[in-house]
Amino acid sequence: MNTVKKFLLKREDVFSTLIALLIAFGIIAILLMSTGRPAGEAFYYFIKGAFGNVENTSNTISRVIPLTIAGVAFLIGAKCAVFNVGVEGQLILGAMASAIVGYIVHLPAIIHLPLMLLAGMAAGGLYAFIPAWLKTKRGVNEILSTIMLNYPATFFTHFLVLKVLPMEGVVPATPKIDATARFATLIEGTRLHAGFVVAILVVVFAYFLLNKTSIGYEMRAVGANKEAARFHGIPVEKRMITAFMLSGALAGLAGAVEVAGVHYRFLDQFSPGYGYDSITVAMVGLMNPIGVVLSATLFGALKTGILDMSIYTEIPRQLTTLINGIVVLLIASKEMIRSSFSKLVRGKEEFKQEKE
Amino acid sequence: MTFLDIIKSVFTIALVYSTIRISISILIAGMGEMITERSGVLNIGVEGVMLMGAWAAAIGSYFSGSAWIGLLCAVGVALVIGLIFSYIAITLKASQAIAGLAITLLATGLSGYLLQIIFEHGGNTPRVPTLPNINLAFLNKIPVLGRIINDQSVLMIFALLLPILLYIIFYRTPWGTWLRAAGENPKALAVVGINPVTVRYIATLCGAMLGGIGGAYLSISQTSMFSENMVAGRGFIALAAVIFGNVKPRGVFAACMFFAFMDALQMTLQTAVPDNIIPREVFQALPYILTVVILAINMAKGGGPADIGNPYEKESR
Repeated sequence: MNTVKKFLLKREDVFSTLIALLIAFGIIAILLMSTGRPAGEAFYYFIKGAFGNVENTSNTISRVIPLTIAGVAFLIGAKCAVFNVGVEGQLILGAMASAIVGYIVHLPAIIHLPLMLLAGMAAGGLYAFIPAWLKTKRGVNEILSTIMLNYPATFFTHFLVLKVLPMEGVVPATPKIDATARFATLIEGTRLHAGFVVAILVVVFAYFLLNKTSIGYEMRAVGANKEAARFHGIPVEKRMITAFMLSGALAGLAGAVEVAGVHYRFLDQFSPGYGYDSITVAMVGLMNPIGVVLSATLFGALKTGILDMSIYTEIPRQLTTLINGIVVLLIASKEMIRSSFSKLVRGKEEFKQEKE
Repeated sequence: MTFLDIIKSVFTIALVYSTIRISISILIAGMGEMITERSGVLNIGVEGVMLMGAWAAAIGSYFSGSAWIGLLCAVGVALVIGLIFSYIAITLKASQAIAGLAITLLATGLSGYLLQIIFEHGGNTPRVPTLPNINLAFLNKIPVLGRIINDQSVLMIFALLLPILLYIIFYRTPWGTWLRAAGENPKALAVVGINPVTVRYIATLCGAMLGGIGGAYLSISQTSMFSENMVAGRGFIALAAVIFGNVKPRGVFAACMFFAFMDALQMTLQTAVPDNIIPREVFQALPYILTVVILAINMAKGGGPADIGNPYEKESR
């Protein structure tokens, strides 16, 4: 019995997150029913829409790819006390840079694809340098600066698409990238593409960087306690700039992978808020690379499942954003859930000890 | 077209009129956010509060047939949202940034969802009754002023009086002193016997209420319907204006007017000068870029309340 409690307390964070998720979905169920929508049926169509057949499952995975990469991007910053809300802007710029490299230069696939991904990473990383510099050199709150910097990125790419770059077809988009810059589609007729390998590599990279290298250790030390890290001789500012730019580079990579695997061009306003979702994904994933994969799967499934559900059940697709909002609210108040959870478990233990 | 012609066709009374028209929502919401930030709470969720305000105003106005009741609905809903935010950010001491982002996500989803549920179709509401516009006969006799003021929403009066009122409250009343102390040095305020938590709650709720009114202006005055995501970044512009204006009534007022002017200028340029060389995206991005620049200059000087963003800890020394 004691081992169960020890296990529960040791995994306190995991359980309180799960409880938060359960409460969130409980609230959603109540909301659905109180607005006259059948929650049970909704759940059925949601699961069917997300994982019902090969096509739906593939489309879900294609959503998990950018969410995972962007989630890891946010996580790397957060581990080093850098709260990068600018993932969205960096992702958009990364997508734009990679799309340009994808259609302007012509190279064999073995160079073209990596070059294009690198261009995305460079664009995202460099854009992240602005808030990184502002934070370390001028003491500017990075949450504010990155929120503000998301807008110029959107307007800039919008401007490039509409007024500078040539356009093909009626939708505002850049020309299609060369076949040599594309990820192979794994299952014909679906969006599942070879880019998932990149997502796996990113997760493995983040795990090794944070847990097995001295730079990763120093970054986490800065995240845990800046002053203590400084006292131990860790170059705090340097590590923060590294983390910020790495976070931006991964955000750019997420955008580049979307271009290379799904759209084959830069589509104006192509991102359904992946950058903002990355924050939810990383938080629900407990700031852990493996956790990010699990939570990206949950939110990827939400995106495809709800799209299908809204067709069959007359439940508005806006439910996705709503669920995101409620989940983040509950995760933000997780401290309360965590403390009552530990009180509950601990309380029983102490109670039992008294009886003995 | 000569350069002078362009100048003449752009800088008109109509430009002043539309500057004021655009400024109303960001001015009201910005003043609200300023109160909140002065007390030491950073509410990034203004955008969400405005959106819910716009939604509630349109729904209330549609079903009651009175835009004034719509305005009351906006205030009510904004207060509820503000209460949720305050509880999480102040009482639970969670990250204010995360709570604010959550509020914006929640508002975007909830307003869109409920819109579809109520009207069985998405996009926007049917036309709803609107607040009256100012229409005073004697103003028409005054050449310039009449054309600027007449035909503006009644909320303009509120929006323009608000900065003056807040200036007086901030610097001439004990409330203002408590408010500023809650943001600068909450422990000192507690020593005097005023509970900083109460002050922060009241300030956040005032901010949310004004955010709701700022949103309501969009749906029941500037236009006569609610459409999805209609706030479209105005909440973040208001947030930017508060930073730009150094969290002070005069500064925030000036920043709001400046951003509104830029927006009006951009729109006028598009119609008046079809082949203008400055792309509209430059104007649209300008408020955000300027705000980042101001952040860079100001932070070194230590602008804004000292204790912003930090939860109030009773025990800590």
